[in-house]
Amino acid sequence: MLAKLTGWLLLGIVRLLTGAQARWYGCPPKAEQRIYFANHQSHADLVMIWAALPEELRSITRPIAARDYWANTPFKRWITTEVFNAVYVERAATAPASAAPAPAAAEPDTPPAPARDTAAGPAERIEPSMEPLLPLAPAPQTVVDVAPEAFDEIQGRLDLPAPPPPAVAPPVEPPAATTEAAPSEPAAAPASDPLAPLVEALRSGDSIIIFPEGTRGHTGEPQKFKSGLYTLATMFPDVVLVPAWIDNVQRVMPKGEIVPVPILCSVTFGAPIRVEEDEERRPFLDRARAAVIALRDV
Amino acid sequence: MNQFLRSLTPTQQVATLFLIVFGLLVIASTTALFLSFRERRNPVHDATWQAELAHYRKLLGTTWFMVIVFWVGWALGETVATVLFALIAFFALREFITLSPTRRGDHRSLILAFFVVLPIQFWLVATARFDLFTVFIPVYVFLAIPVASALANDPSHFLERNAKLQWGIMICVYGMSHVPALLLLSFPGYEGKSAFLVFFLVFVVQTSVLVQHVISRRSQRKPFAPNVSRSFNWTSWGIGIVVASLVGALFSFITPFKFGQALAVSFIACIAGSMGHLVMKALKRDRGIPNWGKKGVGVTGANGLLDRVDALCFAAPIFFHSIRWYFNV
Repeated sequence: MLAKLTGWLLLGIVRLLTGAQARWYGCPPKAEQRIYFANHQSHADLVMIWAALPEELRSITRPIAARDYWANTPFKRWITTEVFNAVYVERAATAPASAAPAPAAAEPDTPPAPARDTAAGPAERIEPSMEPLLPLAPAPQTVVDVAPEAFDEIQGRLDLPAPPPPAVAPPVEPPAATTEAAPSEPAAAPASDPLAPLVEALRSGDSIIIFPEGTRGHTGEPQKFKSGLYTLATMFPDVVLVPAWIDNVQRVMPKGEIVPVPILCSVTFGAPIRVEEDEERRPFLDRARAAVIALRDV
Repeated sequence: MNQFLRSLTPTQQVATLFLIVFGLLVIASTTALFLSFRERRNPVHDATWQAELAHYRKLLGTTWFMVIVFWVGWALGETVATVLFALIAFFALREFITLSPTRRGDHRSLILAFFVVLPIQFWLVATARFDLFTVFIPVYVFLAIPVASALANDPSHFLERNAKLQWGIMICVYGMSHVPALLLLSFPGYEGKSAFLVFFLVFVVQTSVLVQHVISRRSQRKPFAPNVSRSFNWTSWGIGIVVASLVGALFSFITPFKFGQALAVSFIACIAGSMGHLVMKALKRDRGIPNWGKKGVGVTGANGLLDRVDALCFAAPIFFHSIRWYFNV
């Protein structure tokens, strides 16, 4: 009851400030299972896209929220769970990220663990890439494809803790980790895997809203998409992938400001895309990003 | 008939007026509906006919919207009317700012404009502090906004950005706030009837815009400033002004003015309104848009509001100040 009232109130405020328009270009608003993926410029994006969806879709569509931001006060936690019905994902913020590898490094006999940790690790990410889940992805090339990026991420992490030498995580390590992750510790894998909550939401039949850039961009072009979208798309081939462009929200509340100003915003939904036969990860992600950018000018 | 109208109380008179206006609108809308059933043989003619009819219906929709707003404003009293116009000003300013790109450094100035200047201005109107509300924006706000911008530490396009914001405040807040201010003017022997004054202004300005539009469609004259407006030419403009002023003069019985005075004030209001409409067209052309709605696709009801009130925003302050100065009320 209270949640519903708050929802209405919030909806009223969002409409007053931004108009919260939804523009359905490539597809109609329809109650089928969908993954909406959008550009990410502001914390308000979550609220924005939630408000733009029609009432009957809002109840079956779950936005994802970074746990470190949206669950750090009781009020925010209440609003994200009760009002938005959001799915939390771990975005390892700087402090937890530096803390997490420490216990992993303490047990050097299990190299897979740190490897997975690093894959989930870098700071300022909402949606870490999905290397741990890759065994579910069919093509072996994808595993080869993973290596450079995973290596990058390991490199990125290396300046935080001193103990693990580069030799612990050579480019060949992540495939080893991924092949081992599924069979050896099936119970532990979902717990540490950042995408597990999303997978669960999709399994239960809900639609989700994700921001594949990971971080909030500044203005203009979105950044490169993280691989989570591809993994989810290959895991759930029946779910419709709908690109969305959120316009103007960064003007309403730029990074670092608390008071929003009223400026009309819109969410444009485009034509659904899908992973083609044998399409590799990077080309697909680039295509998805292009589909989102193309909506800016319609 | 006249005797009967005079015997009514002011409230009943205003109610009668609204009844008449709504009746006329219903007739006009029904006519438009029936006309749309008619089909021309020639498909080209039919297309143009339908397009013209659609345009006409859009204008009618605008008129309906305005009349309903004023009716609600009048029915619920002066304070509610002021709040209503404050909301309109808010939405109009929102549209204006949306389509005038601002930068990161403007954020604080925008907060100031929306959440400080606008409420204060309308509060000044509601409390009838005439001497302050006429100078609050042009004097205090216009000097304060650049200060807020300068403190944001972003010098690029400084003058441009401030001009945009100040112009938006001037049109949407200052201009709009003069409409409810009319309700507070007290002419001797005219108590309780100031809603007529608002009606008079809106009616006259809307008539001039409408007549001008219809005539320029019919006459196909060369536009005077084709880069700004393809329909504006001096002939249709003149006819529009004259017709609307005469209509205003005929309606002098609902105002505190005599026939000649009503003619003069409606003439002034019409010139200001139609010129304001032209100015706003130039602004829209500069932004590369046909109207203030979001890229022509309006989903929320608030879209394109500025299109509807732009003439009024210019006419209201000039109307207000000229009658206040002349009649010394």
